Amino acid sequence: MDQNLETKNKTYYSRLFRRFVFFTTICSIVPLLLAGWAINMHYSGFARERILKTLQTRVDYHKKIIELFLKENKTRLDFIARTNSIEFLIKEGNLTHILNNINRDSWVLTDIGIIDENGDHAAYVGPYDLINKNYSNTFWFREVMEKEIYISDMFMGFRKEPHFIMAVTKNENCRRWILRATVNTDVFRSLVENVRIGRTGDVYILNSKGIYQTSPGSSGEILTRAPGFKGEIHDDLKFRFLETHDRDLKIKKIVCETWLKDPRWLLVVRVGEKEFFEDIRHANRATLVSLHLSALIILIVTSFVTNHMVQVIKKRDSELEGMNNQLIQAGKLASIGELSAGVAHEINNPLAIIMTEHQLLLDAEKRIPITDQDLGEQFAGSLSQIGTQVRRCAKITKNLMKFARRTRSFIETVNINIFLREVIDLMEREAKSDGIAFKSVLDETLPPILTDPSQLQQVFLNFINNAIDAHEEKGFGTITISTCPARDKTGISIIVEDTGSGIKDPDIEKIFDPFFTTKAPGRGTGLGLSICYNIVKQLGGQIQVESHLGKGTRFTLTFPFKPPEDLMNNGQDK
Amino acid sequence: MIGSKILLVDDEEIFADNMAKLLQGRQYKVTAVYNGESAIKALENENFDVVVLDLKMPGMNGIATLKEIKNMGLFTETLLLTGHGSVDAAVEAIRMGAYDFLNKPCEIDDLVEKIEGAWRKKDDAWKKDLEEKLKRVVESPSDAFKLFD
Repeated sequence: MDQNLETKNKTYYSRLFRRFVFFTTICSIVPLLLAGWAINMHYSGFARERILKTLQTRVDYHKKIIELFLKENKTRLDFIARTNSIEFLIKEGNLTHILNNINRDSWVLTDIGIIDENGDHAAYVGPYDLINKNYSNTFWFREVMEKEIYISDMFMGFRKEPHFIMAVTKNENCRRWILRATVNTDVFRSLVENVRIGRTGDVYILNSKGIYQTSPGSSGEILTRAPGFKGEIHDDLKFRFLETHDRDLKIKKIVCETWLKDPRWLLVVRVGEKEFFEDIRHANRATLVSLHLSALIILIVTSFVTNHMVQVIKKRDSELEGMNNQLIQAGKLASIGELSAGVAHEINNPLAIIMTEHQLLLDAEKRIPITDQDLGEQFAGSLSQIGTQVRRCAKITKNLMKFARRTRSFIETVNINIFLREVIDLMEREAKSDGIAFKSVLDETLPPILTDPSQLQQVFLNFINNAIDAHEEKGFGTITISTCPARDKTGISIIVEDTGSGIKDPDIEKIFDPFFTTKAPGRGTGLGLSICYNIVKQLGGQIQVESHLGKGTRFTLTFPFKPPEDLMNNGQDK
Repeated sequence: MIGSKILLVDDEEIFADNMAKLLQGRQYKVTAVYNGESAIKALENENFDVVVLDLKMPGMNGIATLKEIKNMGLFTETLLLTGHGSVDAAVEAIRMGAYDFLNKPCEIDDLVEKIEGAWRKKDDAWKKDLEEKLKRVVESPSDAFKLFD
């Protein structure tokens, strides 16, 4: 095989492999990844929405609890103010009794007091010393005097700690008085803050000015201003995503805000996004890993299958190429055969005449010898040369016609080993003097085959002759003839191997062509292998050649157990 | 056999004439004709020991001529000259009763050898026939005229 051709074929098949893998990958992995990604995105969006909805529900619920708490206490104060007169309430012990009743289940109110229209504390029950304090200058006093029911923001007041108050006003006999109570800050804060939304969730309240009403956890202090507060009041629940930096760590948070109705406080719930969407992220990761794993498996399987396919194609191609070569060879031989047979036949007649003329001259010379010695010698020499050359031509035409004709075959049962031994015996005598040894490796278990022994003999004599000639340069060597079952078990193989000079690469394709010879002019007609090829084909066989320049040549001849049907019938005719 | 009568049939006139000369030089009595029809005519008029017949001829070819000769029931043997391409036809001819065949171009010595073989066969057959006839004459002398007519 040509080196270039082999490299070309190699690149062709590797390109084929790459193209196959590429397209299969594009057609399978890309849609898989696209669909996977799309489904994943859709699912993530959906899950996110669900999670946010859940968060919203919880925040909403929490808002309602806080509102309910405030409303309950407000209503309670209103009820007390409406059902009792100021005289009754300021009377020693009554207010204490009321506070104790309210706080019976839980200590909701820290203290309670009655303030008259001048801002003086008329009665007070609580832990602080606030009796006789005047509130007329406080912001809440003014507010409460305007509104009937009032809930203050958190403030420090006289007691110097954060608290907020609820107050209701009542008009009684042209007197206006206030029932004021301080909500237990601890109870309120625990109500607001102790709701755990996630592990990292912070819950706090801002007033309408953006002041922390409860402790916002790590991000600030109670009664300080919240950074970035805008103060837009809205009735619905709003989500906002916030990026904060903790040292060098970027933390993303979901901020959920909703305004309470009364007072207008902003309930803020802040949760770590990472924690909240962890499940989604986990699911995402699992999906993507399995997706990419599938893609990888597809890629591996595709490569594997494609490689196998390319190997199969390669094998088919080489078989096809071999078949094509044989077909071309057969076609070439047929056309050359017909032409050469025609030419040979036409030349035969003039040759026959020349031969008779030559003989006539010889006869004449015998009858009337030439007296002039020089002329005689010249005449005899020329005649002899004419005879030699005519016989040479006759040999060529004979071979040409043998090559073209389809003689009838005489099909017999032939034990190929016995047959080959006879052929080797015949040739060994000739070869021994040339320094060539014969070696036979015969498989004795081979069954006999049906074939034409005389044609087969011609074939093997030719091959062995060529093998002997191949040693001409070296002067010595070995010719090995071996038999074995054919690879496909439908016949037998005979291998003729020599250690001669080998065949040059460009010549190997031409050795079966008629008239192709590397022997010196006059030594060979170049028809031997061509005739052999024809005979082997006719007997249903095949010839394979392998040759290494300088090392030797190996011909493998394969014959079926039975020749083709038409040949069998032909033989039976006889 | 010196003096044997040979009929040479070949459409290649120069070849036929040359062959005739060569055989005459070897003491045969040779008549050369150039087609099958002339050969049959010659055989009708004259006895020949051996007919050397070319296979490929225009008009009556070798096989047709051979058939005719066989039909004539003569004491003569036929040798066929063929090209290499028509071995099958030559084999066919031998089946029809030709003595042998020879590939063209051929050596004169080979031809002479075959002619001798053919002559011997013809001679044997002729002698055998003669013997049988003589035997019958001895057995019934009245049939002698009929037999040697």
